[in-house]
Amino acid sequence: MSARQLLLAVIAGLIALFAIPLLTDNDYVLALGISFAAMSVLAGGLNLIWGYTGLLSFAQVGFFGIGAYTAVLLVVDLGWSLWAGVAAGGVLCVVVGLLVGYSSLRLSRHAFAIVSLSFALLCAIIARDWPELTRGSMGIPGLPTPELKLPGLRWRIVDPADYYYLLMGFAAIAHGLIYLVVTSRLGRAMRAIKLNEPLAQSQGVNPLAYRLLALSLSALLSGIVGGFFVFYLTIIDPSIFDFYYTETMLISVVIGGPGSFWGVLLASAVMAVLPDLLRFTTDLRMVLYGVALIAAMILFPGGIGGWLYRRRVARWRRPQPRDPAKSTP
Amino acid sequence: MTALLQVRGLTKKYLGLTAVNDVSYEVETGAIVGLIGPNGSGKSTSIDCISGFQPADGGQWLLDGNDLTGLAPHRIARAGLTRSFQTVRAYDELTLLENLLVAAQENDGIGWLPALLHTARVRAAEAAATARARDLLQTVGLADYADAPAAILSYGQRKLLAIAASMMSRPKLVVLDEPVAGVNPTMVRRIEAVIRKLNEEGVTLVIVEHNVDFIMNLCRRVVVLDQGIKIADGPPGLIRSDPRVLAAYLGKQGAEEATQRG
Repeated sequence: MSARQLLLAVIAGLIALFAIPLLTDNDYVLALGISFAAMSVLAGGLNLIWGYTGLLSFAQVGFFGIGAYTAVLLVVDLGWSLWAGVAAGGVLCVVVGLLVGYSSLRLSRHAFAIVSLSFALLCAIIARDWPELTRGSMGIPGLPTPELKLPGLRWRIVDPADYYYLLMGFAAIAHGLIYLVVTSRLGRAMRAIKLNEPLAQSQGVNPLAYRLLALSLSALLSGIVGGFFVFYLTIIDPSIFDFYYTETMLISVVIGGPGSFWGVLLASAVMAVLPDLLRFTTDLRMVLYGVALIAAMILFPGGIGGWLYRRRVARWRRPQPRDPAKSTP
Repeated sequence: MTALLQVRGLTKKYLGLTAVNDVSYEVETGAIVGLIGPNGSGKSTSIDCISGFQPADGGQWLLDGNDLTGLAPHRIARAGLTRSFQTVRAYDELTLLENLLVAAQENDGIGWLPALLHTARVRAAEAAATARARDLLQTVGLADYADAPAAILSYGQRKLLAIAASMMSRPKLVVLDEPVAGVNPTMVRRIEAVIRKLNEEGVTLVIVEHNVDFIMNLCRRVVVLDQGIKIADGPPGLIRSDPRVLAAYLGKQGAEEATQRG
């Protein structure tokens, strides 16, 4: 697909997504769209840090929840606007992300995975056991209705359609930013670090710097989306740090293919619809997720992106008719 | 005139074992210097140290007068000393062209924000790097595969790609770690021709090899290590007949027999 065709396809897709609330006021459809928007940003962030720089991060749900709690507490306790609260949450996530990353990455990739997991678990414990700040396990229900006030515009974000626009709009910006990074030469350096770290170092690439860049950006986007998402839920409690979110992100990236921008986006859409298609299985759902994840890793290694890559390699390996005069050994 | 690379008293210890013991040598601009020695003589360890991949326990090394001692690998690369690896390394999923572009991009001093925004300066730098990459692929005979993923290359072709990659940033000095180990004779000649061509274009090289004939053909100066100590340093003709070198490779008795026959 040429760059022009891709651009047209993206524009058509965005128009279709943004037209949905005009065509239907079915809350169920809008809820699916909102959940897709939020989860796809989380999966995109995980893909950036894991799929591109090779760091398996369990910290993403921590950023999601920290962004959410920060926004809620600033809005509810200090009367900030949603926008300022969400922005502050995003910035705090970057700072926390840099602390988690810098402290562990000086050791190894594996240390990072373990520290990131401990970090996410610690977040849930703090949310539950520090009631003076977080109201503990009861959480904070009945979050106020946010408003956007600009000269000549007053947008009260009340209906699912409003949240649909808010989250889908932010998701479009977030994925645009991720796309810009991964298709620039920054993304090329990140992939080089994942594929062969010593080689990248021997060519002047600083792995720590690029990994902290990827981690900061994914923390920022996850934190902001967390802030918007809880106002849609209208309640925050420690379950915002639930492992369910981590599992959804992981499955999206594994099925989409780590390091495949479009693959992960597509897989996030599937993962937004799948839980409801599987609702009739009730408690069996999580088991089915696990089976799907293992099956994908065995039958479909590298996900959608891996499948495309294997096709590319096979195409080049096929003997090609070429001019014998300029053949290479 | 001072040498391009000056290594002074390089020492590396693993627990009780001294792998590299007070080794000093110099490399003149424009030279091809061979670094040889029997297994375990400290060749690879010494270049791992000067390229920053292993911390040295003593000594100092300077490139063009700049002290590189103790710097991280990426800083040493940016200062102009690049290397290839004994276990050939490539970015399998990237195309050959991308493999080479990565090797150049940290050396044009362009920051992250312009890179993200694809500014005119970035586009110009990338176009220049692409032109150089195509030239180098032509030189090593891989131009037909510029857009193929590196995973399809044979072992020998990967060695050629690695040599091309180590040249991308126009380094002052390139260290090649066993460029022809395990490569068939045709490919050895091809790699030799590529190295000569690059040297004629002004690249200074240090070559670590087991293949003594290859080194003797290519280098006008050879440094010999044995058990971490430098035992000889001179032109290939003298090295061939140096009793300490013969003793290191053939044992004492073998060396005596060889001298009597010679």
